[in-house]
Amino acid sequence: MPKLVSMIVDGATVRAPAGSSVLEAALEAGICIPNLCHMPGVHALGACRVCLVEVIPVAGSGRTRLTTSCTLEAREGLVVTAHSPNAVRARRNIVELLLAEAPNSRAIQDLAVRVGVRAVRYPMRNKNCVLCGRCVRVCDEVWQSKSLGFVGRGSDCHVALPFNTRPSTCKRCNTCVDVCPMTVTPCPGPQKAPAICGLCESQCSMAQNTPDTCVWCELGRGFQCARWQMRGLKAGIR
Amino acid sequence: MPRLDSPAALETLRQRLIAARAFWPVRLILSSGTCGQASGSLAVLAALRQRLDRPDLRDSVHVRVTGCQGFCDQEPLLIVDPLDVAYCRVKPQDIEEIVSQTLLEGRVVERLLYVDPRSGARVRREADIPFFAKQDRALISKNRWVDPCNVGDYIAAGGYSALAAVLSWFAPQRVIEEIRASGLRGRGGAGYPTGKKWEQCRNAPGEHRYVICNADEGDPGAYMDRGLLEGNPHLILEGMLIGAYAVGSEQGFVYVRNEYPLAVQNVRVAIEQAREMGLLGRNILGTNFSFDVKVARGGGAFVCGESTALMASLEGKVGEPRVKDVHTVERGYLDQPSLLNNVETWANVPDIIRRGPAWFAARGTETSKGSKIFALTGQVKNTGLVEVRMGTTLREIIFDIGGGPRDGKGIKAVQTGGPSGGCLPVSLFDLPVDFEALAEAGSMMGSGGMVVVDESVCMVDFAKYFLKFLQDESCGKCVPCRVGIGRMHEILTDFCEGRGTMAQLAVLEELAWTVQNASLCALGKTAPNPVLSTLRYFRDEYLAHVEERHCPAGVCKALIRYEIDDALCVRCGECIAVCPHGAIQEGETYVIDNALCQKCGICEDACAPEAIRRTRGLVHA
Repeated sequence: MPKLVSMIVDGATVRAPAGSSVLEAALEAGICIPNLCHMPGVHALGACRVCLVEVIPVAGSGRTRLTTSCTLEAREGLVVTAHSPNAVRARRNIVELLLAEAPNSRAIQDLAVRVGVRAVRYPMRNKNCVLCGRCVRVCDEVWQSKSLGFVGRGSDCHVALPFNTRPSTCKRCNTCVDVCPMTVTPCPGPQKAPAICGLCESQCSMAQNTPDTCVWCELGRGFQCARWQMRGLKAGIR
Repeated sequence: MPRLDSPAALETLRQRLIAARAFWPVRLILSSGTCGQASGSLAVLAALRQRLDRPDLRDSVHVRVTGCQGFCDQEPLLIVDPLDVAYCRVKPQDIEEIVSQTLLEGRVVERLLYVDPRSGARVRREADIPFFAKQDRALISKNRWVDPCNVGDYIAAGGYSALAAVLSWFAPQRVIEEIRASGLRGRGGAGYPTGKKWEQCRNAPGEHRYVICNADEGDPGAYMDRGLLEGNPHLILEGMLIGAYAVGSEQGFVYVRNEYPLAVQNVRVAIEQAREMGLLGRNILGTNFSFDVKVARGGGAFVCGESTALMASLEGKVGEPRVKDVHTVERGYLDQPSLLNNVETWANVPDIIRRGPAWFAARGTETSKGSKIFALTGQVKNTGLVEVRMGTTLREIIFDIGGGPRDGKGIKAVQTGGPSGGCLPVSLFDLPVDFEALAEAGSMMGSGGMVVVDESVCMVDFAKYFLKFLQDESCGKCVPCRVGIGRMHEILTDFCEGRGTMAQLAVLEELAWTVQNASLCALGKTAPNPVLSTLRYFRDEYLAHVEERHCPAGVCKALIRYEIDDALCVRCGECIAVCPHGAIQEGETYVIDNALCQKCGICEDACAPEAIRRTRGLVHA
């Protein structure tokens, strides 16, 4: 039996095994913290910064700070809020940046709807990768293959095969494609009964006041989202 | 040099070295750091060696080749020791005169003396030069006495006596107490109390402990660490030895960027010498304390100056930072407790031990003690390394030591703390240099870069430059830093090219807040500082760019236009001759064709009657 620690997330007391991350503990307890680069089974990278939480200092010492919950280790007596005004504001701005980078990713579109991005204030770039590192980590840590890696620095950074050729260690397992947020199964649209379908990449929450099914947001129309086209077909317009 | 097996042997050696130095009647000190070499000190040295190679001079004149003395503007600097005369900007052809006049006849060569730009008087003594006189040169003045490749010089100047004292009389805890009592704070930028850091490292659980010197200095226009490391490497080693003894470490590293070849070379020589003498290695000075240092060269990534990225780089991994919920003093290099301090922090340690923490704490302000070296660059008369007490005002540094503006234009602002610092306007020049005071004003101490800008600089363009630097140097791991800085740069480019909107200004501020709060490491967290501080103090310039499409400093090319004033034009044809684009047409009057003009400004410089001037430009359609 692992030792349990108890902490407070968004005002709720959460008990989690010592050594687990705050994000895992919160998700387990049904408190949804939106996330992108987090993936169970591989180490936390803290790269996308979507799962930001605000750490509230206990006993009034120090300042509150924003940090990623995937890299924050659960400790006894820790107090964090995932939906404080600052955390929500920062998360929304970050998802807006991600959306401008890769507007065609369904996972990022879903994420944008969930965190309340209503408009993108930057020119779109239409990239196919946001460097979340899910493929790199799954290849290395789950399959022990190390066939993918980050190459370059800063704005040149990209995911590549070693010397751009498929190494013999690659097992063609296709997991890298499966976990890529650009290929995540898109949301099939609103459910008949108000329920959680479970297909949404970012798992709808009870704690957050966001729509739990697709709302056909204005954003989706801008990106020619499949759901908008479906709605158009259904309603008979266009 | 003999191997030293006890503190007493070190003392005996020191007495012998001092006695030997007393027999050198004339000493010539030539500063030949990286800045000196760039100004031609090696040619001066060759000429000097050749001229001195005669029987009467060979043994009586001792030439000491030192690191940078600080006054980089006047390099190569040659000091004649018994007369205490300083010759500035010495050239190889001046050597003949210096040797025949000063060395053989004892006369001063007036024309090579420093000219005080204020009074126009020639200053003979080094100590009287205003640039030096106003400083408190506790660290940088040591460079004068030491040939970096000669351990004898360092020992004769009192070197390694602090180590001997620590090994003979101090318990490790006592060393930490001394450092804590001195109030020394990290000189790398954040200003974390050094004593506290050492204590944490000592108490952190772990099998091994590592001591690391951070010499990965990458700020544009900052080179304090280079000056110390290449000018006095043994001082840094002694500081690291004391730190290693205090925290109980046996292995240290000097992480120095490969762009500092002279520093790498000098610190390697110093390590070899120290090993030979038994000052590094097993059983140092005959005690049971063992410690060794390796040099690790950085590959030129700015982000590797960040502690976690530096340690990843040391381990042979990609130099990317990790989340610092657990600090490197607890889990650093190879997941062991690691003590990382900046070069200048280490350099302060031996003096604190030797002269006592009270000496150190007596200088400076309430919260910031001791002195700090700044690299004063930009549009001031005297550029170089400046060491002042904490609490000295910016005005004293820029006007009294720096000599004020270089080109006669008014000084507008100073960027302190490098690309992660902030830009402070003239109205704040009475601010004391102090960790808290600078942070409150929206800037930071940083490692000590100080770039002075005058009225010819556009602050929007200036902030854009630093953003570009940080965008290039971002490791690319986290979204706010990689994408956010790029987007901020995009917005500033729009401002500079006349496409800015007020909505973008709001986005810029929102983005700056996000990057500051959500980034993974300190590079991202401080990256918006140049933008935020210029927005705070020079908001009118941003508004002029956005609302009026006007660049008040006349820098942003898209917002200016060149015009010829007919009343002043003498039709000399000079501008037509120099224009590389053929944009100036001769007709009834001279006219600039704005369709062809590339706004290079060559005609403006060439026009003798100053008839060509910049005006508010049309925004290109």
